[in-house]
Amino acid sequence: MRAVAASAPRSRGSATLWLGLLLVGLHVAVALLTLVWTPYDPTALTGGRLAPPSWEHWAGTDRLGRDFFTQIMIGSRIALIVGISAVAIGGLIGVTLGVLAAFATRLLDDALAATLDILIAFPTLLIAMLVVAASDTASLGTAILALGIALSAIVARLTRILAKRVLLMDYITAARTSGTSRIGVVFQHVLPNIWPTLSVNFALQFGLAVIAEASLSYLGLGAPPPNASWGRLLQEAQGTVYTAPIGAIAPGIALVSLVIGVNLLADGLRDIGDPTRRASR
Amino acid sequence: MRRPRSILTYLLRRFAILLLSLLIAAVVLFVLLRLLPGDPANALLGVGATEAQIAAARTQVGSDQPLLTQFVSFVGNLARFDLGTSFVSKASVLGEIGNRLSVTVPLTILGFLLAIAIALPLGIIAAVKADRWYGAAISIVSQLGIAIPVFWLGILIVTIFAINLRLFPSGGFPLKGWTSFGEAAVALALPVLTVALVIAASLLRYVRSATQDVIGSDYIRTARALGSGFTEALLRHGVRNGAVPVISILGIELATTFLGAVVVEKVFALPGLGSMLLLAIQQRDYPNVQGVLFISTLLVLLIGFAADLLQRFIDPRLRGRAGAP
Amino acid sequence: MNQISIRRALVAAALLGSVAVAPLAMAQDYDANATIRIGSLYEPQNLDNTAGAGQGINEAFNGNVYEALFQLTDAGTVEPKLVDSYTNSEDGLTYTFKLKSGVTFHSGDPLTAADVKYSIERVTAEASKSSRKKSLSTITGIETPDDQTVVITLSARSISLPYNLSYVWIVNDKATDITATEDGTGPYTLGEWRRGSALALNRNDKYWGTAATNGEVIYTYFTDATALNNALLTNAVDVITSVQSPDSLAQFSGNPAYKVTEGASTTKEILAYNDRVAPFDNVKVRKALARATDKAKLLNSIWGDYGTLIGSFVPPTDPWYVDLTGVDPYDVESAKALLAEAGYPDGFEFTLDTPDYDPHPIVAQFLQAEYAKVGVKVNINIITANEWYTKIYQEKNFQATLQEHVNHRDIVFYGNPDFYWGYNNPEVVKLIADSEAAATIDEQTAKLTEANKLIAEDAASNWLYLYPQIVVSAANVSGYPVNGLNSQFFAYGIQKAK
Repeated sequence: MRAVAASAPRSRGSATLWLGLLLVGLHVAVALLTLVWTPYDPTALTGGRLAPPSWEHWAGTDRLGRDFFTQIMIGSRIALIVGISAVAIGGLIGVTLGVLAAFATRLLDDALAATLDILIAFPTLLIAMLVVAASDTASLGTAILALGIALSAIVARLTRILAKRVLLMDYITAARTSGTSRIGVVFQHVLPNIWPTLSVNFALQFGLAVIAEASLSYLGLGAPPPNASWGRLLQEAQGTVYTAPIGAIAPGIALVSLVIGVNLLADGLRDIGDPTRRASR
Repeated sequence: MRRPRSILTYLLRRFAILLLSLLIAAVVLFVLLRLLPGDPANALLGVGATEAQIAAARTQVGSDQPLLTQFVSFVGNLARFDLGTSFVSKASVLGEIGNRLSVTVPLTILGFLLAIAIALPLGIIAAVKADRWYGAAISIVSQLGIAIPVFWLGILIVTIFAINLRLFPSGGFPLKGWTSFGEAAVALALPVLTVALVIAASLLRYVRSATQDVIGSDYIRTARALGSGFTEALLRHGVRNGAVPVISILGIELATTFLGAVVVEKVFALPGLGSMLLLAIQQRDYPNVQGVLFISTLLVLLIGFAADLLQRFIDPRLRGRAGAP
Repeated sequence: MNQISIRRALVAAALLGSVAVAPLAMAQDYDANATIRIGSLYEPQNLDNTAGAGQGINEAFNGNVYEALFQLTDAGTVEPKLVDSYTNSEDGLTYTFKLKSGVTFHSGDPLTAADVKYSIERVTAEASKSSRKKSLSTITGIETPDDQTVVITLSARSISLPYNLSYVWIVNDKATDITATEDGTGPYTLGEWRRGSALALNRNDKYWGTAATNGEVIYTYFTDATALNNALLTNAVDVITSVQSPDSLAQFSGNPAYKVTEGASTTKEILAYNDRVAPFDNVKVRKALARATDKAKLLNSIWGDYGTLIGSFVPPTDPWYVDLTGVDPYDVESAKALLAEAGYPDGFEFTLDTPDYDPHPIVAQFLQAEYAKVGVKVNINIITANEWYTKIYQEKNFQATLQEHVNHRDIVFYGNPDFYWGYNNPEVVKLIADSEAAATIDEQTAKLTEANKLIAEDAASNWLYLYPQIVVSAANVSGYPVNGLNSQFFAYGIQKAK
C-alpha cells in the first residue's frame, strides 16, 4: 500500500470509475437480457412453495412457486426504468425551474429559492408519499412521477446556483450585448457549462430514486404487482424471512450493488471532470 | 459581497425569511391537501350517508366555502396552532402530535448525535489516512451505507440484535412512555442505531471532504512550517474552518433524519410522528395529515434557522452576509 | 391485515354444537395479579364502536370493558349477560327483558333500564357508524316500565334478536362522549392508552360477577405480522390474537416455550364478482372461473398445511353447513367448455380490484397465472382499504374484487340484492328473509341450508378458502379464547403461571 501512495489519488479515481462501470454494466446487461430471455416465465408457477436454492432455481422460489432468480433479474430492469425515468422527469422540471429562477428578478428569485429550500427540507420519500396518496390507484407510473417531482426540487436548486454563476461570467454579458436572445444564451452557454456538474448529480439522484422506490414499496405505496421491483420483493419476503431467508437478502444485495455502482460511476466521472479533486464526496 | 450589517439587522432579516417560508409552506400544504382525491367531507362520514349529512359535513369541514375563504381560515387556524380534531380518532391533533413527538424527537436527536460521533472521527481518519488500508476501508463502508435502504438495514439489525442475540427488544414503545425511562431508552436503542448508521454514512463523506480541503489549505501548511505537529495544527486551526461547511450540511441532515423517521418507526413499530402520518394518509384523515406536515415543516424551518445562526457566529467571514442562500 | 368488518344482519341465536374447544390447562398455580400482554394487529382508532373505531375495539372492549344484554361466547353460544331472564310474546313481536340486579358501571352508577334504552338508541341513531345498525332496524319501540325491565317491540319476527343484542354495548346514559374514555360494566376498566402503540385494562375490583384471573391486560398493537411475531419471540408479548402466516408458525410449533392452538375459523377469502355486470351476470362464466381455480394449491401457497377448503360462504361451524366443495371442482377442461358455452371461447379480460394488504396481492397474482390457462386475462388493480370501501362497497363500481369476510353466520349477505356483489336470486332472498322470521331454530336451519346450496349452485362468488384461526402464546399462559368469534378476545379468564 505504502509504495503506491504517491500515485494513489489518480489510480483510485480510475478504479472507482471502472468498478462503477462494471456494476452498472452488469445490471444494464441483465435488464436488456430480460427483454428477450429469462430462466423462467416470471408469472409461471414452476416450483414448490418457498423451495430452497437449487440447480433448477438458483435463488429458490417464492410463496407461489415462481422462480425467484427470474424476479430479481426483472428487478434490474424495473430499477433502471424507475431510476432513469425519475431522473428524466426530475431533471426536466428541475433544470427548467432552476434556469428560470436564475433569470428571474430578485424578488421572484428569492421567493423561488425559499420555496425550493422548503421542498428540499422534506426528504424525497415524504413528497413521494404524498403524491402517491394523491393519486387514486397505485401504479409504477405514479411512483416514478412522484419520485421525479420529489427530485426536481433538488435539481432546481443546484441548477439555479450553477446557472447564476455562469450568468455572471464576462462572456455572457458580451453575448447578451451582441444580441443573443435569452433562450440562445441558455442553450449556447448556460446548459453546456453546467452540464458536467449536473450529470454527476443526476447519477446520485438515480441512486436516491431507486432507494426511495424500494422504501415506498416497503410502506405499501410503491409499484403494485406484477412489477417485480426489488422493494416489493423485499416487502413480500419479510414475512418468510425465517423459513426462506434468501428472499429477504438477495433483492437487497442486487439493489445495493446497483446503487453503489452508480455512485462510484458518479465519483469517477467527477474526478475526470475535476482532476484537482480527489475521489471524495 | 453585500454591505456588512449589524447582528440585529441580520436577525430581523433572517426572521422575516422564516415567516415568509412558513407562509409559503402553508400555501404548499393547502394546495397539496386539495390535490388529495375525494371530498374531505366524505372521510368524516360512514357508509350510506344521506345528502343532508354530506352537506352538513361540508359545512363542518368548510369545503363548501370559496377557495380564498378556505385559505384565509386555514392560515388563521395554523397561526393560532388550532389544528382541529382527527376525523377518525376524534382526538385533538395538536395533543396527539405532542405525544408522538416524545418518541420522534429523542429518536432524531439521539440518532443524529450518534451519527456525528461515528462520522466525525471516521471521516477525519478517512481523509488523513487515505493511503492506509483502514482509511480506504472506511470510505468503502460509507459507500455501502449510502446505498442501503434504511428499512432493509432496520430489518437486518432486528434480525441480528433482537431475534438472534436477544440483546434488545424488536420493536414497540412502553405504554407509560418516558415515565418508564429504562424501558423507553432500551426500546429506542436499535432504532437509534439504524438511523445513526444511515446518516453517519452520508455525513462521513462531507466530513472527509471538508477535512481534505482543510489539509490542503495554506494555514495548515504554514502552521506546520512554524513547527506545530500535524494533529495539533489540525485541531487548532482545522476544526474551526472545517466546521463551517459541515454545519450547514448538519442542518439539512438533521431535518432529513427527523422526517426520515417515518420508515424507521414502521420497522420498529414505534408510535411516532411518522407512523401517525402514514396511518393518516392511508385513512385520508385530513386534519392529521395537515397537522403533522405543518408541525414538521415548522420544526424543519426552525432547525434551518438555528443552523444558519450557528454558522454565522462560528464563521466571521459570513457576518456580512444575509441568511438565504 | 386490517380486516374490513362488513357485519350486518346475522341470523340466529342457535347453539353451535360442535365449536366449543375445551378451555386450556386450569389446575395450575397462577399469579392472580399478573400482567397479560396481548399482541394484536388491530388497533382501535378511538374507543367508541359507533364512531368508526374499527374491529380492534371489539377485540379489546367486548366483554372486557363493556358488556351487552347477551354475550356471544367463544364457543359460539349466545348466553344472557346483563339479562336475568326474558320472555317473547306469542306473535314473536314483543320481547320483555328483566335486568340483573346489583350491576354498577365503573363510575359507580347502577345499571337501569334507561341505560339499556340509551345504549340501543346509540347504535341505531342516524349519526351512528355502527355496522350493526341495520340488523336492529326491525325495532320499533323500546319501553322501560320500571328500572329493571326493558320491553322491545318489533315490526317483524326476528329470531336472532338476542344474538344481535350481543353487539350492543351497555353504556351509562350519563356518559356522553366515549371516544377517549369509557363507562361500562365489565370486569376491566380502561387504564393507560397510547395511540399507535398500546392500551391497558385494569381489573375492576368492584365487578358484579366473577373477578378476572389477572390484574392487568395490555393490548400492544403492531402494523405488520413480522413485527408482531418478533414481539412474541423476544418475550415482549405473552399471546398473539391471530397469526397471519404459516411461516411465522415454524418458529413456534415444536418449541416447548410456546403453545400453538388452532381454533374454529369464520374468515373466508373470496373472489367476489360484480354479479350485475357482464360477463359475471352469466352463471356459466362464474362456474367456469370457479372450476379454473386450483384452490388446494392456492391454500397451500398462502397457508402451507393450515386452513380449510370451502365450497360456499358457510364455514363448517355454522349449523347450515353442507360440504359443497364438489359442486365446482378444479377442472380446467370443463372450465374451458363452460366459457365456450357462455360465448367466450377465447376468454375475456377483467380488472381485479385488489386490497393492498396481505394476502390479497399474492392471491391476485395466483389467479392471474391460473386464469391465463383458460384464456382469461386478469388486470390487477391495487387499492387501499379506504378506496375499497368507497369504490366497491359504496359505489359498487367494479368488475371483481378480493376480500376477506370475518364473521360467522354472514350467508345472509346473499339475501340482500343491494349488497356490493349484487347477487340477486329471488328464491335465495325469500329463503333468507323467511329464516329470520322462523319460529324455531330447526326451521331457520332448514331454510338457510337450502339457501346455502342455491348460492353454491349459482357460483354467486368464488369462495377460495377458509383462513385458519391460530392463537400462539407463551407456554406459561392459558385460558384465552381460541376461536376469536367476531373479533372478540375475552381476557378475563387468562392465567399466567407463577
